[in-house]
Amino acid sequence: MADFYAGLLHPLTAPEHLLAFIALGVLLGRHRASAEAGLIAFMAALVAGGALALWLKHVPGLDLFNVLSILGLGALIAADLPLNASVCVALALLFGLSHGFANGVAAVPPIRALPYLGGLAIAGLFVGGYGWVSVDYLLQRNLGWLRIAVRVAGSWLAAIGILVLAGSWKQLFG
Amino acid sequence: MRWLAFAWWFVPALALAHDGQGDIQGGLLAGLAHPILGVDHVIAMVAVGMWGAQLGAPAIWLLPVTFPLVMAMGGVLGAMGVPVPGIEIGIALSAVALGAMVALALRPPLWAAALLVAVFAVFHGHAHGAELPESANAIAYSAGFVIATGLLHAFGILLGVANRWRVGARLLRAGGGLIALGGVYFLVGHLT
Repeated sequence: MADFYAGLLHPLTAPEHLLAFIALGVLLGRHRASAEAGLIAFMAALVAGGALALWLKHVPGLDLFNVLSILGLGALIAADLPLNASVCVALALLFGLSHGFANGVAAVPPIRALPYLGGLAIAGLFVGGYGWVSVDYLLQRNLGWLRIAVRVAGSWLAAIGILVLAGSWKQLFG
Repeated sequence: MRWLAFAWWFVPALALAHDGQGDIQGGLLAGLAHPILGVDHVIAMVAVGMWGAQLGAPAIWLLPVTFPLVMAMGGVLGAMGVPVPGIEIGIALSAVALGAMVALALRPPLWAAALLVAVFAVFHGHAHGAELPESANAIAYSAGFVIATGLLHAFGILLGVANRWRVGARLLRAGGGLIALGGVYFLVGHLT
């Protein structure tokens, strides 16, 4: 049971994952046609990515990619571009894999993989699902300023992504 | 009643209760505090919100959506240690200029307003970004100061709602005047 919680809490206690999960949820909420498929794809990809990590152990540049995921998703929300449902599902798959992998790296023995990955998937469900439902609900209110507020939230996420890149510049590029 | 469901968005704040788990709380709090502890920052950020509200659409939404991104660019410069001369003077000037815009209810073309705000955003961002590398958790710090800045804008926009009423509009302009005077105070302080 502890392994389940380890998987659940790992992304929730790491801002570099939590912000991406939130960003995906907000994006799915904004593009509600894709939301259900997107969330299921996200959960599946998290598990797949995590499982992949048990085998591959390390992918160079993954942490940078995950920071870029926050930037990219935030920018898409801020720009309010119309996105095809399949694009949203593809993004959910892509970032589910990358974040799943990064979280899976932490599932070293004595942590058992299966409950850990289950916890990871549930974390994705909770945060992504909550983001989706809240944004969807807010946007249904049809208040102009709420739509702006969602875009502003995207802008914040993108800004945070830009800054983290700057902060890690030296580590990443020497 | 359904709105209570949104209370879950505040759950991450529980992280703040866990003192000593180190960097996330420290980073987040440091980031949140940074814009708020500088009065020169606060008044300028509130003025951006007030001015956006005065200018109305599309400025009222364009500014809050683009400001964090431009500020982040400035933050990148600060974090990388790129020297920009006169940051503190620039920040004081931003309070003077933006306060004056509100006080005089000036309505330049959108591109001019955006340009002015963008230049100041770079200065403010630089000041925050310069502290970024020293903070324990860069992402928590960045999140903190982006959110704090955004909330200050929101506050300014909220004040700007007063613009709908004649008395409110006058009070808003008076507020802008006070901000400009505050900026002069800081400017003089830096120049002498």
